[in-house]
Amino acid sequence: MNVAVTTRAPTSPAHPAPVFAMRGVTKVYSMGEVQVHALRGVDLDLHEGEFTVLLGPSGSGKSTLLNILGGLDAATAGRVTYRGGDLSEAGERALTRYRRRHVGFVFQFYNLIPSLTAHENVALVTEIAHDPLTPEEALALVGLEHRLDHFPSQMSGGEQQRVAIARAIAKRPDVLLCDEPTGALDISTGIAVLEAIGKVNVDLGTTTAVITHNAAISAMADRVISLADGQIANDVRNGAKLPASAIEW
Amino acid sequence: MRALDRKLLRDLWNVRSQVLAIALVVASGIALLVMSLGVFGSLSTTREAYYARYAFADVFAGARRVPNRVQEQIEAIPGVEKVQTRVVVGVTLDVEGVAEPVNGRLISIPERGRPVLNDVVLRRGRWLDPDRAEEALVSERFAEAHGLQLGDRVAAVINGRRQPLEVVGIALSPEFIYNIGPGEFFPDPLHFGLLWMSRRHLATAFEMEGGFNDVALALTGASASTERAVITELDRILDAYGGLGAIPRSEQLSHWYLQNELTQLQNMAFIVPMIFLGVAAFLLNVVLRRTIAVQREQIAALKALGYSNARLGLHYVQWAVAVVTLGSLIGIVAGLLLANGMLGFYMEYFRFPFLTYEVSVPSILIAIVVSLAAAALGAMGAVRSVASLPPAEAMRPAAPESFRVSLFERLGAGRWLTQPARMVLRNLSRRPLRAALSIVGISFAGAIMVVGSAMMDSMDELLEVQFNIIQRQDLSVSFFEPVERSAVHELAALSGVMQVEPTSGVAARLRNGHLQKQTAIQALAPDARLRRVVDVDYRAIQLDRPGLVLSTLLAEQLQVEAGDTLVVEVMEAARPVREVVLTDTVDDLLGVAAYMEEESLRRLVRRDDTISGAMLKIDSQAEERLFGLLKAMPAVAGVTLRSAALKNIRTYMLDNMSMVMGVNLLFAVIIAFGVIYNTARISLSETSRELASLRVIGFTRAEISSILLGELALLTLASIPLGLLLGYGMIAGAMSAFESELFRLPVVVEANTFLVSAATVLGSMAISAWTVRRKLHDLDLVAVLKTRE
Ligand SMILES: Nc1ncnc2c1ncn2[C@@H]1O[C@H](COP(=O)(O)OP(=O)(O)O)[C@@H](O)[C@H]1O
Ligand SMILES: [Mg+2]
Repeated sequence: MNVAVTTRAPTSPAHPAPVFAMRGVTKVYSMGEVQVHALRGVDLDLHEGEFTVLLGPSGSGKSTLLNILGGLDAATAGRVTYRGGDLSEAGERALTRYRRRHVGFVFQFYNLIPSLTAHENVALVTEIAHDPLTPEEALALVGLEHRLDHFPSQMSGGEQQRVAIARAIAKRPDVLLCDEPTGALDISTGIAVLEAIGKVNVDLGTTTAVITHNAAISAMADRVISLADGQIANDVRNGAKLPASAIEW
Repeated sequence: MRALDRKLLRDLWNVRSQVLAIALVVASGIALLVMSLGVFGSLSTTREAYYARYAFADVFAGARRVPNRVQEQIEAIPGVEKVQTRVVVGVTLDVEGVAEPVNGRLISIPERGRPVLNDVVLRRGRWLDPDRAEEALVSERFAEAHGLQLGDRVAAVINGRRQPLEVVGIALSPEFIYNIGPGEFFPDPLHFGLLWMSRRHLATAFEMEGGFNDVALALTGASASTERAVITELDRILDAYGGLGAIPRSEQLSHWYLQNELTQLQNMAFIVPMIFLGVAAFLLNVVLRRTIAVQREQIAALKALGYSNARLGLHYVQWAVAVVTLGSLIGIVAGLLLANGMLGFYMEYFRFPFLTYEVSVPSILIAIVVSLAAAALGAMGAVRSVASLPPAEAMRPAAPESFRVSLFERLGAGRWLTQPARMVLRNLSRRPLRAALSIVGISFAGAIMVVGSAMMDSMDELLEVQFNIIQRQDLSVSFFEPVERSAVHELAALSGVMQVEPTSGVAARLRNGHLQKQTAIQALAPDARLRRVVDVDYRAIQLDRPGLVLSTLLAEQLQVEAGDTLVVEVMEAARPVREVVLTDTVDDLLGVAAYMEEESLRRLVRRDDTISGAMLKIDSQAEERLFGLLKAMPAVAGVTLRSAALKNIRTYMLDNMSMVMGVNLLFAVIIAFGVIYNTARISLSETSRELASLRVIGFTRAEISSILLGELALLTLASIPLGLLLGYGMIAGAMSAFESELFRLPVVVEANTFLVSAATVLGSMAISAWTVRRKLHDLDLVAVLKTRE
């Protein structure tokens, strides 16, 4: 497959080619007798530089969708392309390469390596990326330039999540995928984290998708997609995009 | 350094006590391997060099008296390169200050020049002056045992006459590296010594002028067929002069004993270390699996970040390799030190003039390869589980473990259980495989303990059987020549002698087709009370049928079974060759032998009713006076004291076995502790969240400790019977691997050994429990609950 293309396809401003294109994507988990339909025929395009918020009740398929986009999981049926390359047909190796070159992840539970410092957690990515930021630069972007040598256990949840964002953006990813990045945080820390994500989206032009339970966050998005029962229930553009700091929770 | 490598080092450092415990188990196995191979290599090389430099012969033969002119005939045998004829006689010795009987062997050396074969190494002093009759060289260990200095005197009792000899030199010979007296099984330098005398003077003293009674040959090639042909021809030539049957180097006493030792070392080099490394692989596997279970989400996140399966698999392989490398390094150093110690012991016993110490690189390489194989084995499962872990895992919160009501509770016993006891049972039944593996692991510790001390049990049993059931005489006497049976009465008449039984035997060669064995057939009276042949249950076997009884091992070597017929070539008197039926085999513990009822043997040999020695039961009060009387008897060539032999064997065992066993014991403790400590630490890390939660809702420290330690105690207790069983199996296996013609250890495990084993395992548990309990006390509740493992 040619997921590994690094040069971006020429796009016309009127109808830019989408970064991601999903067509008829379904995902079925079989657990013995029971079959869980996590996604039921999703069609979706995500565009260059777009900041998308994914909303929906728990179990509606948001994480499944994001995992498939990020090459963490494969669709049961349907087609997923990244810049024209077919993700749904890619094997384990190709997906690893895809994640390594193009995708930045931010997890709900940070998933930092507890035995590595903030700096080293970021270095984990910069060491295997092509043309990355330095760990110092990445940590400065999220305002943690003074916490380089701290271990995860010595930082608050918000700080840990900002390290996770620094780790995700250090490779200058083409896409940034965040699964409930503020789920485990209080309001003010949550805002600090969202600001960091928003800043990356604006400064680096990274295509960004953020899952959240908090509808208020939609205010800072270009686009808000609601999922319900494995299908897209709603897809709206936000004309009046606000900075994270201006959001009312 | 790369971030992932840093993670590796920090992770290892975090569990350093576990890492060390496993590394020490690896080290134990590697140390044993390096030690055994090192000692084996050094001894083999040293022996070969010694043989080559001092012209150790290829074929040996004794005879009654051969005229010197026959030497030319022997030299003319095709395939013979060199010939050395000698006069060799057994005598009793009189050493100042020693009341007990001491036996000696007098060996001639040429008047001029050095022996062309079986040369002598002069350690101190000078060579013999051929003009002086009363000079002798004395074997080194004998001189040391008696504190003999140059210029000291020893008397040889020759034909009842004391012949004083002056020690002018201290010597060694490749022919007597392992130097044991007649009828002995272990070197006893206090009671047996070698003396080299000038050929002419020795011949004169024993009426051997113009003749010899011993010959050694060197062959031109090393082919087995040449050897066989030369032996046949030599036997034919010596036949007329009372030839006692020629033997190849492989059957030469010293060489053969040494070879047995080396074979044992070689066996030991593999069996025991493999057990240790197997256990180490098992531990690595368990600990790595646990580590990976704990790091599930880290691994998933790393995969999400773009790390490949191969890279992450390598990460955990490196984990195992690091532990094993640490263990190997410790093991190699310890093994070299141990090898040094062992070699010191062997040098003391075997006496080589030099030691070619081989820090055998191949043995170290073997050790490293073997331990890396153990690491690979340990890491294999881990790597597989890393590869199969979906990266999407990192996005999900961990699912609660699935629990079930334990079988025990389902049987209705639940209502008696306290809440913590219930948790213990459910923890165990949640992972029955893990519980079973832990039990097996701990039982290995118990088993190795059993093996470690059961060796001593077997040795004790062997001595008990050999010296209280089989050989019950206090002393035995051997004569220069067979004497009339009436000598029994003379001996019985000596005051202090309570019981006398004659012994006689003939040198013979047993043959079954092309298989043959040079041995002596011992005659036994059907009503013998002092020297007996016993069956498996140590009941005396009545030798009342005509026919041969052989040690099982000897029968196996000749590939015969009870009922088969053997050819017996008698090497004495009329030298008849007869077919004899093998009537029975016996499981001799010490040495191998052939027996026959005395009357049948006499008919077979067709000789007069003579005896070659006697066994005596004596009054210990009259001991010393009796020794004096016996030494003075002209016919007596040697006197062997049971108590001295027993004492000597015990010292030998204490020296040799206690070192080996001490090492075994240490290793057993290491393994016991390694397994139990790791089990404890793993269940601690598995349940610490759960236990912290319990503390938060109000459980006391004692209560949560009892959950964790209860689990450990249950596993340990369950492992004990299994360990004892496994230990018994292992000792049975080890005994048959160590079996040699030298001795066969009976499989005996004393109750005490089982107790010690169980106690060690419980002790290791107690220490592990204590350290884990301290960790439990220090449990930082907030931290544990905050971090997601
Ligand atoms: N690995 C899995 N195995 C089985 N079912 C799963 C798995 N992952 C998700 N599901 C199910 O798929 C559905 C959608 O899950 P998910 O995408 O995680 O929802 P959301 O993130 O919107 O809460 C849910 O019903 C969930 O139980
Ligand atoms: Mg979700």
